[in-house]
Amino acid sequence: MSDTGMDRIASKMPSFIRRSDPAVVTAFACIIILLLVGSIYSRSFLSPEYLLQQLKVASFLGVIATGMMLVILLGQIDLSVPWSVAAGAMMACAAAAYGPMGVFLAIPFGIFCGVMIGVVNGIGVAYLRIPSMIITLATNAVAQGLMVVYTGGFSPQDSATGAMRYLATGFAIPGVPNAVLIWAVIGAAMVFALTRTTFGRAVYGIGNRERAAYLSGIDTRRVVMIAFAVSGGLSAFGGVLLAGYASKAAQSMGDAYLLPAIAAVVLGGTSILGGRGSYLGTVAGVILITLLQSILSVMQMPEAGRQIIYGVVIVAMLLLYGRAPASR
Amino acid sequence: MDGAVPLFRMEGVSKRYGGVRALEKAELSVMPGRIHAILGENGAGKSTLIKIMAGVVAPDEGTMTMQGRAVTFSSPAAANDAGIVCIFQELSLIPELSVADNIIISNPPTRFGMIDRRAQRRLAEAALARAGASDIHPSALVKDLPLSRRQMVEIAKALARKPRILILDEATSALTAADVAKVFAVLKRLREEGLALLYISHRMHEIAELADECTVFRNGRNVATYAAGTKTDNEVVELMIGREYSHIFPPKTPLPSSDRPAVLECRNLGWTDRLNDISFSVRAGEVVGLGGLDGQGQRELLLACFGVLRGLTGQMLVDGKPVALGSPADAKADKVGMALIPEDRKTEGLMLPMTVRENLSFAALDRLSRGGIVDRNAEQAMIDDMIKLLAIKTAGLDIPVGALSGGNQQKVVIAKWLMRQPRIILLNDPTRGIDVGTKQEIYQLLRKLADAGAAIVFYSTDYDELVGCCDRVLVLYDGAVKRELVGPEITEHALIASALNIQDDNAGMKQGAHA
Repeated sequence: MSDTGMDRIASKMPSFIRRSDPAVVTAFACIIILLLVGSIYSRSFLSPEYLLQQLKVASFLGVIATGMMLVILLGQIDLSVPWSVAAGAMMACAAAAYGPMGVFLAIPFGIFCGVMIGVVNGIGVAYLRIPSMIITLATNAVAQGLMVVYTGGFSPQDSATGAMRYLATGFAIPGVPNAVLIWAVIGAAMVFALTRTTFGRAVYGIGNRERAAYLSGIDTRRVVMIAFAVSGGLSAFGGVLLAGYASKAAQSMGDAYLLPAIAAVVLGGTSILGGRGSYLGTVAGVILITLLQSILSVMQMPEAGRQIIYGVVIVAMLLLYGRAPASR
Repeated sequence: MDGAVPLFRMEGVSKRYGGVRALEKAELSVMPGRIHAILGENGAGKSTLIKIMAGVVAPDEGTMTMQGRAVTFSSPAAANDAGIVCIFQELSLIPELSVADNIIISNPPTRFGMIDRRAQRRLAEAALARAGASDIHPSALVKDLPLSRRQMVEIAKALARKPRILILDEATSALTAADVAKVFAVLKRLREEGLALLYISHRMHEIAELADECTVFRNGRNVATYAAGTKTDNEVVELMIGREYSHIFPPKTPLPSSDRPAVLECRNLGWTDRLNDISFSVRAGEVVGLGGLDGQGQRELLLACFGVLRGLTGQMLVDGKPVALGSPADAKADKVGMALIPEDRKTEGLMLPMTVRENLSFAALDRLSRGGIVDRNAEQAMIDDMIKLLAIKTAGLDIPVGALSGGNQQKVVIAKWLMRQPRIILLNDPTRGIDVGTKQEIYQLLRKLADAGAAIVFYSTDYDELVGCCDRVLVLYDGAVKRELVGPEITEHALIASALNIQDDNAGMKQGAHA
């Protein structure tokens, strides 16, 4: 891919993308290249049904990456995603086994469990000053242990409620999967929170220079706490949707979402050091990752090769972004 | 060497950053055995000039010669090899390493491929002694030293590189009077040894004391070079700013009568061993200065008042009522109404990559929002007011605040707090490293705020400022208030005498101490 080719592609983008971060433009350019490459292998790759299916798959990652982005903007990381996802899914399914009231409360209860994991992360990072990489890894392990105790190490027998299945696979608007709608709503809320609220300003401020934010009289600990709670809640909600999609929860269902969530956020131009990044970039990153996974499976690559290529491509893309002029 | 042959000469040197001309056909000759002062407002081109000499940036055009031979520096290391060493305004020390490690960092002595620690320590001790700072222990960690001591280490580090031309960029701005005296003695000795020194400072009396010749820069051009002492301070200031200054400091308003109630009162404040039984009060309309040598607890006192320090003993009262401030968020709340202009605008005052707009409204967001949602019209209106009030020069509200000049950045830090209309304003050395014009605007602003009823506590390392701005000065020594100077008692003489904790009648040595 030559530079001029990239420029030409970039210049055909809508102006609102062109005006934004070069990383976001690059991500969208890569999406188009992936679509072109994919269409070589399979005609159906560019069909509307297939693309809509991809968007639906992407929305699960999108919901999870939304929370991850918030935490990364603070200059922190949330490694408890795998078992926050699983805990959300399992607890929602478990609640469904307790009669009609349980069915009714299944989704809120699943999200609540994720929020609790996030609150523990938040207390650890904000009040106890434990590095987020450590505390979130620890809560992930604890959550895993609790879930294993609860399920006895097997996939739980309880199945997802009708509401969960409807959210993940239904169509409230004909032609638009509900999962995509949910991602759109959560994304819009996040864009609003980041750009129009005091909370969003505080997140960017803390990510850029926590001490300056603190000395400006921002309650930095509360903001960090809320961000982790939101991240945990959204991970769990992603798990609830995934359980609805597969009709039940599974032991390692969240494992496949940690690296993609981080990669999607960073590929979308959000600085891993915090303080800089836009939600549009995260959207691009999520779609990019999803398409990449899809192409690798369309190419009928064996699992081992798929993992290798997947990892190499992510590193290559991050290097590509490293070339972009640093604004700080 | 023939005295008429300059050691270093630059001719017709220009440098542009984008559309901005930082330096325009600059000329400079540096003689060995002389101290050459460079003067000019911030943004006049001094920093660019130094960066070119030190090999940090390459000039767009022009020539440089060392002893008649043309030179180009591709990197700071190349300039070092040619004998040009620079002490920059921002400290370049690594806090986690020891003093000796820092001094010898670029070229440590080795034995069998490993750093020879004993040789390193010897070299470091020699360099520290040469810098007149042999009281600093070579194995102390840099992070444990106060700012002024770190600056001495910085000078020792430069000397360890065996320079022929030593450039000091605002190297004394963080130093106490006692340290400045030591540094000056060192610089004078180096001059006798035949080094050429290039000295950049905003402090006029330092230049008068030290320089042999001076070059004034304005808007990227060197506008005048003259032998030191041939122009009055006023003439020099006019050269620098191109307009006339009659009074640097605004007139003080008569003190409010003593029975006016105190807005802020501290009783027996203590914190670890850094603050010791400090009691004072500030009334509305009063500017109270904090004086003394650097690192005597002034910064801690301001942080303590602002609710930053944990484990504070004693009592604080606002409007006569006891308050417990657990964080800056408590201190800025409406019933207290406190603001702190912190020491370091780049790490404590601003989020440099964020926009001017976001920085300006950051501390006042709670007032500019409803239900957590920012009211953008209210925000815009208030920002416009502040830009006008402080005459902040910026190319737009949506550019990173880091792109502004130092003086304008400092104005943004002050403006972001004025957006809250604070009743108690604490300032921690707000004029450090900014140009004369902006300094004067800040002095006038302080007086205006005080006249409007604010209670102001003002720490400065520059005694002139304390004399010119303050109604009262508390002189701190070793974490305690040693003396309170009121009104006409505030003189440079008295400040220095009490800062050194000596009796007034012994203070006849004032000239010597200040030199």
